Amino acid sequence: MEYKLNRDIHSLLDPRTKLLLLFTSSIFVIGTAGEKWMSVFYWILVFLPVVLLFVEKEWKAGLISIAIYIGSFFAQRALQHDLTMIESVFALMLFILTKILPTVILARYIVMTTKVSEFLTAMNKLHVTDKLTIPISVIFRFFPTVAEEYKSITDAMRMRGIEMGAKKAGEAIEYRMVPLIASCSLIGEELSAAAMTRGLDVGKKRSCIWKIKFGLFDWFIIIFCFACFIWWGIGRFFV
Amino acid sequence: MEKSNRLNAKDLINVGIYTAICAVICCAVAMTGVIPIMMVLLVVFVPILTGIPYMLFLTKVKKFGMILILNVLMGILMWVTGMSFYALAVGTVSGLIAELIYRSGNYQSKWRGILAYAISGIYCWANYFGIFFNADAYFATRQKFGQDYIDAVTRMLPPWMCPVLLAVDIACGIIGGFIGTKVLKKHFEKAGIA
Amino acid sequence: MIVFDNVCFSYKKGEESLSNINLKVDDGEVVLVCGPSGCGKSTLVRCVNGLIPHFYEGELKGKISVNDIDVSGSTLRQLSKKVGTVFQNPRSQFFNVDTTSELAFGCENFNMSPENIEESINRVVNKHDMSALMDRSIFKLSGGEKQKIACASIAVEPIEIIILDEPSANLDYKGICELQKMIEAWKEEGKTILIAEHRISYLFPYITRALLMEKGSIKKEFTSEEIRSLSKDELHGLGLRADDAKDPTKLQDNSETVIINKQIDDNCNTQNESNDDVKSREYYVLKNMKYSYKGEKPVFDIPEMKIPKGEIIAIVGENGAGKSTFLRCLCGMERRCRAKLDIDSETLNNRKRRQNIYMVMQDVNHQLFTDSVLEEVLISQDKEDKEEALRILDSLDLKEFADRHPLSLSGGQKQRVAVASAIASGRDIILFDEPTSGLDYYHMLQVSDILKSLKEKGRTVIIVTHDTELIERACTQTFLLK
Repeated sequence: MEYKLNRDIHSLLDPRTKLLLLFTSSIFVIGTAGEKWMSVFYWILVFLPVVLLFVEKEWKAGLISIAIYIGSFFAQRALQHDLTMIESVFALMLFILTKILPTVILARYIVMTTKVSEFLTAMNKLHVTDKLTIPISVIFRFFPTVAEEYKSITDAMRMRGIEMGAKKAGEAIEYRMVPLIASCSLIGEELSAAAMTRGLDVGKKRSCIWKIKFGLFDWFIIIFCFACFIWWGIGRFFV
Repeated sequence: MEKSNRLNAKDLINVGIYTAICAVICCAVAMTGVIPIMMVLLVVFVPILTGIPYMLFLTKVKKFGMILILNVLMGILMWVTGMSFYALAVGTVSGLIAELIYRSGNYQSKWRGILAYAISGIYCWANYFGIFFNADAYFATRQKFGQDYIDAVTRMLPPWMCPVLLAVDIACGIIGGFIGTKVLKKHFEKAGIA
Repeated sequence: MIVFDNVCFSYKKGEESLSNINLKVDDGEVVLVCGPSGCGKSTLVRCVNGLIPHFYEGELKGKISVNDIDVSGSTLRQLSKKVGTVFQNPRSQFFNVDTTSELAFGCENFNMSPENIEESINRVVNKHDMSALMDRSIFKLSGGEKQKIACASIAVEPIEIIILDEPSANLDYKGICELQKMIEAWKEEGKTILIAEHRISYLFPYITRALLMEKGSIKKEFTSEEIRSLSKDELHGLGLRADDAKDPTKLQDNSETVIINKQIDDNCNTQNESNDDVKSREYYVLKNMKYSYKGEKPVFDIPEMKIPKGEIIAIVGENGAGKSTFLRCLCGMERRCRAKLDIDSETLNNRKRRQNIYMVMQDVNHQLFTDSVLEEVLISQDKEDKEEALRILDSLDLKEFADRHPLSLSGGQKQRVAVASAIASGRDIILFDEPTSGLDYYHMLQVSDILKSLKEKGRTVIIVTHDTELIERACTQTFLLK
C-alpha cells in the first residue's frame, strides 16, 4: 500500500486554542475567579475536557473522569454537616481533586494531541520566544522518560532488597535520586547532541509540515473563553 | 570554540530537562499537601529535595538567562497544576535576582550558587499568598471542610506566619542547596557528570 | 569530501583522544572506522558532524574540512545541512514524540517548504516500507524500530554525508538486516558514509575501505577485499567482533536447544528432552509462567518449565517475543505474573523470587546506587564483610576501582560491579538482560569468562541475548522462545 502523508492535523483544536482554554480553565476552575457569578461557565469548563477526551476516542479515561465527578459530587453532599478532622482531610482531598482534575485532563489532552513541531510553530506565530518554547517542548518529551527511568530504578531497588524503609529514609531518597538524575542528565546530553546535529537552533525560522489554522471548533472555544472573561469582568466591575 | 553568550539549543534543552526533574519532585511532594500539616511543610520539603537536581543544573549554567527561564517555567507549571499564579510572578522576580547573584560569582561560586538556589526557590512560598492576602475568599471556597479544618489551617497560618514561612523557605533552600552540593561532590563530580 | 589534516583532539578532562589524524574521504565512499572500544572511533566521527568542537569541549588542533566547510570555523547548524548522524542509543536521539514529526524535524529546522518535506517523507517511507511505523509514539517502539526511524529521518534530509556511530549496538539480527538495507540505499544514492563500529561483518558488502584505529590514531588501512579475507581469529586479534550476522533463533549447533512454546494451545508438554543424561540433572521447576499486558492476549503462557541447575542458559527469540519480560517475570518484578518457582523443597512466589534471584539489567546505570564500588558490594551482602567483598572485587578485576564511583566507570566495568554485587548477595540464580549489547570482542570475552566463573561457583545463569558469539562461547543450553 502506498503511504501518503496526511498533513492535516489529527486533533480537533489548534494548539493556540488549546492553550487559551488551559489559561481560562486555570483561572476560573482552579483559581475560582468570580465564584457563584461564574457558575455556568465553571461547569462548562469542568466538562469540556471530558468532551475532548471523547472526541479523541479516549472512552475509558472519559468515563472514569465522569465517574469521579459524580462520586465526588455525592461525597461532598454527604459531607455537608460539621466535620471532624479526618472527614475534613477527606473532603479537602475531594475538593482538590475536583478542582485540579479538569485542568489535569486538559493538560494531558494537550500533551497527547499536540505534536512538538506543531507546538513550536504555533508559539512562533504568537511571537513567544524560542527560549521558552524549546524548554517546554523538552519537558513534555521528558516526562515519560523520567517516569520510565524511575520505574527501572525502583525495580532495581526492589530486586536488590533496598526498599523504602523508615530506618534509612535519607539513603532511600539518595539511592533513588542519584541514579535518576544521573541517567536523565546523560540522556539529556545525548538528546541535545542529536537535536543539534539536526539543525535545531535558537531564533531561526523553521517550517512545519502540519497545517496550522483555526477551524470552526477553534472559533467556538475562543469565543467561549472570551465570553468567560467578559462575563467575569461584568460581574467584577459593574454589578 | 565559540564562546558566545547567546543561549543555544543545548542550554535550552538542559533547562527543559532539569525543569522536568524538579517538577516531578515537586509534584511528588505536593501530593502529600492534602494533609494540613504537610501543606505547611511544603516549604520545607520542596526546597530540600529539589536542591539535588538544582545544584547539578547550576554546574551547567554558564550564560545569562538559564536560571530565570527555569523559574518562569516552574511558575507556569505550578499555575497550570492548580497552585496560584503568584508562583509565576514571584518566581520570575526571584529567578532574576538569583540569576544576578549567581552571575556576580561568574557562574562558579559554590556559596553564591546555594544562595541563588535559596532565593529562586521562593516561588514555593508564593503558593500561600492565597491564604494570607485573600483569606476570606480562600476559605469561602473551602467552607465545606468544616470549621475544624479551617481552624487547623488558620491556627497554623496566622498572618505573621507569612514572613516566617519566607524565612523557613529560604533557610530550607540553603539547607537543600547545601545538601545538593554535598551530593554533587559525593556522586556527580566523582561520576564525571557535573 | 572529508579532509583531516593533522588533527589532534583531547576532551576537557583526560588524555589525547585523537592524535595526528590524516585522512581523506572522497565523495560516495563508504568508510568503516573500526577498533576496540576507547580507540577513538566515535571521537573521529564526531569531528565530521561538528559535535567536536562545537558540542563536546576540548582542545582541537589541525584542520578538518567537510565538503569545503571548515569545521571549527562554522556552526553546528551549517554543518547539519550537509551531515546527518545516526547515534548508538535509540532512546535518546529523538526530539519529537511522534514518528512522523521526527522524520520531518531536520527539514523543518532548515525551513524547507512543507510540500518538499512531504514529498521527501513519502518517498522514504515507501522505499523502506515503513508505513506501519508512521504516526506512532516513539515510546511505544522497539529498539530496532527506533533505529529505523533514526535512519529514515536522516534519509529524508537532503544531506550529502552520513555518519553512523555504532548504529548496531542495540540491534538484533532483524534490526541489522534493516540497517543493511538503509546503507545499501544510501550507497546507491551516492552519499558519503562514515561508520564507527566494532561489529563489522554485516557491513562487508558495502564498504569501500576500512580504517583500524588504536589509541587515537589510525593504525592500519584495509581495502574492502583485505578486510573481508581476514579470518575470524585475525578479526578477534584486532579486537573486532566476527559474528556473521547470524540469526540466533536459527542457531542449533554447539549447545542443546530446547524449544519453549509461548502458548499452551498446541502442546502441554513443552519440553523436548534431547539427551539421555538429562535425567540425571537437577532442575528448578518454573510453574504457571504467564504474562499479558492489560487486556491483551498473553505474551507467553508456560504451564511448566524445567530450568537445569548450574548451567548457563541462553534465552533467544525474535524481537518482541517477550524475552525481557520473561526475565522480569522470572525474578518477580512483574506484579501481573503469578509464577511459582520450585527450588529444592521450597516454592518461591514473586516476593521470595526477588530475594533469591539477581538480575543484571541491560542498562546497568539503574542498579548502581552508592558512591563507591566497594560500598556497592557491601550493601548487597547479608552481613557486611569487607574482606570477602574485596575478594569478590579482585576476582572480577575490580580491586583497583574499589574507591571509584560506580557511575564513573566504563560500561563493561559497571556491568562487572553489578555482577560483583550479585555474587555478594549470595543468590543462586543470576539473570542477565543483553549483557553484551554494544561490547567489542575483548569485553564480550570478559563477559563470557564471568559467566563461566559463575557457573563454576555453582550458580545458575540465565541470559537473554541475541549475541551469537556469546552463545557459542559460553552457553551450555539454549531456550528458544517461540
